[in-house]
Amino acid sequence: MRRPPQIPGGESGRSRVGLVAMLLVLAGLYAFPSFVQSPYALHIMILLFLGTIMGESWNIIGGYTGQYSVGHAAYFGAGAYGTMILLQKWEIAPWKGVFAGIAAALVLSLVIGSICFRLRGPYFVLASIAVAEIVRLTALNLPNVTNGAEGILMSDLPPLSIGGRVVTDFVSKVPYYYIGLTLALFTILVTWLVQHSKLGYCFQAIREDQDAAHSLGINLSLYKNCALGISATLTSLAGSFYAIYIKFIDPTTVLALDLSVQIVLIAIIGGIGTIFGPVVGSLVLVPLAEALRSNIVAQWLINSGLVREDSGLGVFLKENLAHAHVLIYGILVVVVILFMPEGVLGYVRKLSARKKG
Amino acid sequence: MALLEIKNVSKFFGGLAANSDVSFSMDEGMIMGLIGPNGAGKTTLFNCITGYYPPSRGEIVFAGRRMNGLQPDRVCKLGMARTWQKVRPLAKLSVLDNVMVGALCRTNSLSQAQELAMEQIRVVKLDHKTAFPAGGLTIGERKKLEVARVLATQPKLLLLDEVMGGLNPAESEEIIRLILAIKQKGVTQMVIEHDMKAIMRISDRIVVLNSGEKLAEGTPEEIVANPEVVTAYLGSD
Repeated sequence: MRRPPQIPGGESGRSRVGLVAMLLVLAGLYAFPSFVQSPYALHIMILLFLGTIMGESWNIIGGYTGQYSVGHAAYFGAGAYGTMILLQKWEIAPWKGVFAGIAAALVLSLVIGSICFRLRGPYFVLASIAVAEIVRLTALNLPNVTNGAEGILMSDLPPLSIGGRVVTDFVSKVPYYYIGLTLALFTILVTWLVQHSKLGYCFQAIREDQDAAHSLGINLSLYKNCALGISATLTSLAGSFYAIYIKFIDPTTVLALDLSVQIVLIAIIGGIGTIFGPVVGSLVLVPLAEALRSNIVAQWLINSGLVREDSGLGVFLKENLAHAHVLIYGILVVVVILFMPEGVLGYVRKLSARKKG
Repeated sequence: MALLEIKNVSKFFGGLAANSDVSFSMDEGMIMGLIGPNGAGKTTLFNCITGYYPPSRGEIVFAGRRMNGLQPDRVCKLGMARTWQKVRPLAKLSVLDNVMVGALCRTNSLSQAQELAMEQIRVVKLDHKTAFPAGGLTIGERKKLEVARVLATQPKLLLLDEVMGGLNPAESEEIIRLILAIKQKGVTQMVIEHDMKAIMRISDRIVVLNSGEKLAEGTPEEIVANPEVVTAYLGSD
């Protein structure tokens, strides 16, 4: 029996078009590195994938289950440190170290879950921040294990070989591109599977009304911990990927509150509780942050002739706009949250629904 | 043997006794009406029975099993399901998905859950609204949705907390028919209701609570004739 659509109105024709479009995008993404060699373009794409992985993983616990964890840096850091420590201290290849990262993140999520899920709403948010800060401070003060504030610099990345044949030696950005793309697709697939299973129903029931869900036979702590476990696993993958790509980690980058907030924003800006919301969020936030940081905006204003380069304003913008990127980023986030409470994806959907009548 | 036995149940909130020393038992297949003035402890008793509050004293025995201290989800799995006085639709989910959440209590397969859910949606006559988000339903429809959702958990004992509250007479009549139809299927029910006419019509027996204590128990005819009940409701003199 076919499931009737969630929103009244036919969806079958649209879904076929959507499927074709999705396959085209996918083919384009896999072919991308053969057409574009610019390392900067590849770098931006890799950041997009990373953003998508982080947003999708948070979406499972925050978007579907309604538990707004603002401490996901802890799992990201677990993945990053797990992989990096094994590589630097015991020369264990990252594709094996990833699993250590996952194990660390899972254990951490069980500990955090068993403490924080006793709390609801804003209290849960606060507890999740607090526990992540404890993890950061612990990493900072365990120099024997984590190298403390100095962080860990990767000295040598062994080539990836399968059955004796070297697949890649990681010299260019292309292998990272494909790893990132594959991981991003994997997290989207996991989200799709969750949404189309009993888990998805239980998660969403908990989000909509915990007490009602409880009375309908849903074991709250079991399903919340399950959601957090899935989310933590995927986030730790993002952390491992980040560590291997950037080749340097320290507590202020991979365990910081900043990072936790950014993960949440990707999902919220894009549209929470939807499969493609975090993809949209990543598409909005990553280029935005990059454009502001690299001062593209000031350059564009000057080049387009709107502002003269030698005028007072021109000099001011050129010198200061890049420093103001966090401020502008913040204002834009506030605007989106105020005017698009369902996220960019939800807003676009609403607009297109209105157009149709 | 009785399906549900309430043995000397008390529930204290600080010094306040919301229920004190309440005892009664229910046989399989009957409808028990639970009435009493506001604040008599009816909903508190529901919460004690379904695991939301642990009773301070006393024992709740369901199908021969002691229920004290079990979590609400276990209680539901064991066959006791409740509705809420203030309806709790899963607002963003469709009517079908709401009822499927209930059905998933008994199965892990979505297609099976969907079949079970459709069956219950037809029973409460909401089949024209299956794809509708539950948040957009009228109060009457929400109450029906609530009933369909608990029915989908396939309970042996159904506890209905004011399912007719806030409904117009035509809607109430529908709910009354629904309750009687559920009885026909052999599901035991405990019903909290303020509408006296309705409760007299559907109940096999009635328990009257007043200030947390059991004031009277009997058939509807006995309850109407009981002077103490009349005093509790209308005041003395």
